[in-house]
Amino acid sequence: MKPIDIGTATWTTRTTEGIRTGTWRAALPRHIQAPSPCHAACPVHGDIAEWIGQARAGDLRGAWRTLSRHNPFPATIGRVCHHPCERACNRAEHDEALSICRLERWVGDTALAHGWAYEPPARARSERVAVVGGGPSGLSAAYHLRRRGYAVTVFEAQAGLGGVMRDGIPAYRLARTVLEGEIDRLVALGIEVRCGVRFDDTAALEALRTSFDAVYLAIGARRRKRLRILDYAQPWVMDGAQFLERASRGAAPALGRRVAVIGGGSAAMDVARSARRAGHDVTVLALERRDTMPAQAEEIVEALEEGIVLVDGAMLLDATPGADGLHLRAVQVRAERGADGDPVVTPVPDSGFALAADAIVTAIGQDPELAVFGPQYAFERGLLRTDASGATGVPRAWAGGDVASGARFVSEAIGMGERAAVDIDRTLRAAAGEAVEPPHAGRGAAWPAVTLAAINLHEHPKRPRAASRRRDAAERLAGDAEVQLALGDGEARHEAARCFSCGTCTHCDNCITYCPDLAVRHAGGGYEVLGDYCKGCGVCVSQCPTGSMTMVEELR
Amino acid sequence: MSASGEPAVLLTGNHAVAWGARLARPQVAPVYPITPQTPVLEKLTEFQARGEFDAEILTPESEHSVMSACIPASLAGARVFTATASQGLLLMHELLHYASGARAPIVMANVNRTVASPWAFWPDQTDSLAQRDTGWIQLYVESAQEALDTVVQAFRIAEQALLPVLVNLDAFYVSHALEPVRVPSQATVDAYLPPFAPARRLDTAHPSGWGNVVTQEMYAAHRRAIEDAMAQVPALAAEADREWAAHTGRSHGVVERYRCDGAKTVVVTLGSLCGTAREAVDGLRDAGHAVGLVKVRLFRPLPAAALRAALDGVADAIVLDRNHSPGAGGVLAQELRAAFCGSAGAPRIRGCLAGVGGVNVPPERIAEWVLQTPAGHAPAPMEWMR
Amino acid sequence: MSDATTTGSPAPAGPAEELLCPGHAACPGCVEPLTVRHVLGVLGPDTMAVIPPSCMAIIAGPQPFSSLRIPVYQPTLESSAAAASGLRRALDARGERDTQVIVLAGDGGTYDIGLQCLSSAAERNENILYFCLDNEGYMNTGGQKSSSTPHFASTGSTPAGKTARKKNLAEIVAAHGVPYVATASVGHLADLRRKVAKARAIRGFRLLTLLIPCLDGWGLRDDGALAAARHAVECGAFPLFEIEDGCRYTINQPRPTRPVAEYLALQRRYRHLTAEQTRVLQAEVDEGWARLERRAA
Repeated sequence: MKPIDIGTATWTTRTTEGIRTGTWRAALPRHIQAPSPCHAACPVHGDIAEWIGQARAGDLRGAWRTLSRHNPFPATIGRVCHHPCERACNRAEHDEALSICRLERWVGDTALAHGWAYEPPARARSERVAVVGGGPSGLSAAYHLRRRGYAVTVFEAQAGLGGVMRDGIPAYRLARTVLEGEIDRLVALGIEVRCGVRFDDTAALEALRTSFDAVYLAIGARRRKRLRILDYAQPWVMDGAQFLERASRGAAPALGRRVAVIGGGSAAMDVARSARRAGHDVTVLALERRDTMPAQAEEIVEALEEGIVLVDGAMLLDATPGADGLHLRAVQVRAERGADGDPVVTPVPDSGFALAADAIVTAIGQDPELAVFGPQYAFERGLLRTDASGATGVPRAWAGGDVASGARFVSEAIGMGERAAVDIDRTLRAAAGEAVEPPHAGRGAAWPAVTLAAINLHEHPKRPRAASRRRDAAERLAGDAEVQLALGDGEARHEAARCFSCGTCTHCDNCITYCPDLAVRHAGGGYEVLGDYCKGCGVCVSQCPTGSMTMVEELR
Repeated sequence: MSASGEPAVLLTGNHAVAWGARLARPQVAPVYPITPQTPVLEKLTEFQARGEFDAEILTPESEHSVMSACIPASLAGARVFTATASQGLLLMHELLHYASGARAPIVMANVNRTVASPWAFWPDQTDSLAQRDTGWIQLYVESAQEALDTVVQAFRIAEQALLPVLVNLDAFYVSHALEPVRVPSQATVDAYLPPFAPARRLDTAHPSGWGNVVTQEMYAAHRRAIEDAMAQVPALAAEADREWAAHTGRSHGVVERYRCDGAKTVVVTLGSLCGTAREAVDGLRDAGHAVGLVKVRLFRPLPAAALRAALDGVADAIVLDRNHSPGAGGVLAQELRAAFCGSAGAPRIRGCLAGVGGVNVPPERIAEWVLQTPAGHAPAPMEWMR
Repeated sequence: MSDATTTGSPAPAGPAEELLCPGHAACPGCVEPLTVRHVLGVLGPDTMAVIPPSCMAIIAGPQPFSSLRIPVYQPTLESSAAAASGLRRALDARGERDTQVIVLAGDGGTYDIGLQCLSSAAERNENILYFCLDNEGYMNTGGQKSSSTPHFASTGSTPAGKTARKKNLAEIVAAHGVPYVATASVGHLADLRRKVAKARAIRGFRLLTLLIPCLDGWGLRDDGALAAARHAVECGAFPLFEIEDGCRYTINQPRPTRPVAEYLALQRRYRHLTAEQTRVLQAEVDEGWARLERRAA
């Protein structure tokens, strides 16, 4: 019995893999690396999504190394930074912004606890660079230059390194051991430090500039602004920076029980809270309304918890000594920040009032001392003028930090130090005949910062951020222990898991899992889209939890 | 020819069908009851309850579902059997086309019963003849013995042609009448009918699908392949019958000529009417008339060559149709006229609607029709035997 | 009632062995092939599928190509469960009792024309795993209403909105006392995969109704099917639940967190809805959810 052959008209013989449905589409998805909004907002342009991802996975050393690409002071910054990253965080529109600052503190503290050190520079270069000013900007530049192999000497006028980190920020915000640990670790890279050295005149600075291959000028802004209506020669008037310097040395000046602090920024808060710890009753008089004061919101809350009285939106008119102390006259004002950064103040009619105090401490800002720079330097609005990379226009001279910027943030200063170091390195390598990339290379990403719309929120059920914990107010006033308490390891890992990882792929494989056409596959550690089959539906883009897939129009 | 030594047992046509099915060892048997077919499935379930029949019997909720189940079972490489009648066969209509298109060698017994409306339960072959375009091979039997033998032969034909086969038996005359039937041994049938082993089947080891949408050209090619298979069926059926004779001593033929030598008038018919016609022919021959009978056993494909040979030299062919196609008359008469169209020496064909609706057709009435067929008549399109 | 997690951690990244091929003809962004890809990923290659006329039949490929790496049989539209029964018995007769026989049928071929033989197969507790790919209409023929189309939805044959409610297939089949009935959707992928794995391990008649938002039929963006499927679950219009042995109910999601209006707003087929009709739908969903909770209690 032999059955007849029926032919193959109705049984299938091949798969549809031979049908190239890629011809259907008008747009093709691409797997990309895009900047996160926190990265864009960060003054040091930290690779935030990356280091948080490493911390989330338990690789804290890797997270610290990634942080250290840009910032040698994570434990410090994780305590004092004004964290513009958190304002930009996409998660804020979903539930609450990620606690990036406290996560950085966690990584920084872990690095210190383990005593992790930096890798020594890969090669030693012969060029020598001088850094004038051992504050955050100078130390940052020194760090970045030393890691690139340069011989670096830091000149610091004070007896120890740190600048405003040491004598402008009190210990209850930044413990001394933390700061010293991070400075020592940096210096251990092999940086020569010369403390107690001051450059008082233009000749001294010129001599320095011509005897090194490059100099970075980061002398800060140490000239305190003064209220014209007060006589600083009087014992009951003091400059805020002076107050803090003495307090940081453990020698807070004796000022009488009631202290009035004039100013609305972090420095004013630092003065007020230091005075409180020294036993004073403190009233703060700030030009701005509370919600527009330059001080961080948390600082104001903490100050109020510590029993400080805040009189906001008010200006001091005069102060008259009397038998029972000072009589202060003040008036309510409307204050706006002018274009050049100085406040524009308008008194409110018939709103005068009186205050009583025993001393007045002003913390209304500082200006750089510019007399030490010769006429070849350029100046603008009371600052040393530089370009975006810190170049002053004077050969071999770069500058950054508070001397060249009105921003007055530690993280800004650190960022400026890095940018200048990069430019110094590029310039010196070019001078040595090496091939160099063009200026500002690496800036300007190929893709715009990831927005919330690009995040697949189905993967992220709403969760509140890790709770802030502060030391109890009474305990705080008893000494200078840190007020803001650290996140525990478990809390921190939990918080790190809230990070959307905007623009940095987490290899969740959603793009592969959800493609109806099996047109996405693993390739070279990332993902590739198979042009033969992709129909351009965009499901992979919609399912990506990090915004790492984007549709690109195809013109054929 | 070897005489088989089995004793004869009294069986109805339905039970003979059940025995034929049992002996052929089908693996899957979906069934649904309808008068007058029910004794077939009841016999099979009785066999199963006694442990003598291990096919997968399933009882779907309708005949449409029965045939829907048969087809993929067959495509999965299982031998499949079922049975139905009348309304059930009609309800399967869509799937009959589906089965032949799928080249599924299913064997189905159909008890020819009147189709509604109006409702009736009598012998009438309109049900199966109305399926003549569905691509099923069709055989018509006149006795219980032939029913058993044909069911077994049907599997052999089906599995070579890869087309399904309908074995038709008249309601009550064949399905319910008791006759002596020789039931062959299982060994005899196993020797005659090897296991079903199709070249292509639904198989996870060689994943291939059946039923995807085809192009116009593929469809036409598929129909040509079906036609090619159909063209070989008369030879396959003849061979199956010869082999059966070798195993059992019984042969039924594809077309049977009964006392046709020298006949000038021949009665042509299907199914149980053949038995009645034999008596009429015997009577007429005894009275000196040169009359014969041609029994059409294989109806689809119509064995045209065999019929032309059988009716060679015959002047008048009287076709008895126990069926009715409104507007066209008897189906066998139409088919016969078509088979002879344009042939030299074709007989005059007189179409007679005899026994439609189950009306009794005694041999005397057949004899009357034969004798009353005028010589040289111009045949009317159809005439009713009343 | 349990509220096993249906959101949160991503599903495993694709099945270990892909049994669906690219090159199929599904509309861009359609999640029907995506659903079948994951179903087959859990079931594995020792599976045969019965696929009646439907979108899936077209996705299965034009002759001679197949997009599925398993044997497929395409029956007539109304006979999927009967065909699957026949196939099942043939495999059993051949000793291939562990090969999964599944049906991948649309709602038209299940709720309407295929319901009769489905009921019979369920009554016989045939060992088949029946997936209804429910896009709530006859989408392959251009989007006409089926008895799975929800109340007020606009379709090609109900342009002003369907006046009857959606048939409750899960409970109809559960009333046959079959071992397992469940609802699922690829929008909650981990839940779907878990249920397919659970069904796979059971012998007897199992039904999974899978919600498949249809881009063209419902009026969604090319990348909008998953969001629609998730909204359907989150508002309670398509609750995720299981019924074991016809009587033990388990709800697989938390209480609805979205109003129905947010789900309706995604789809053009509801664009004509009045505020009153939206209220009616919310009430129907609330009542359906309450009834489900009573059954699961």
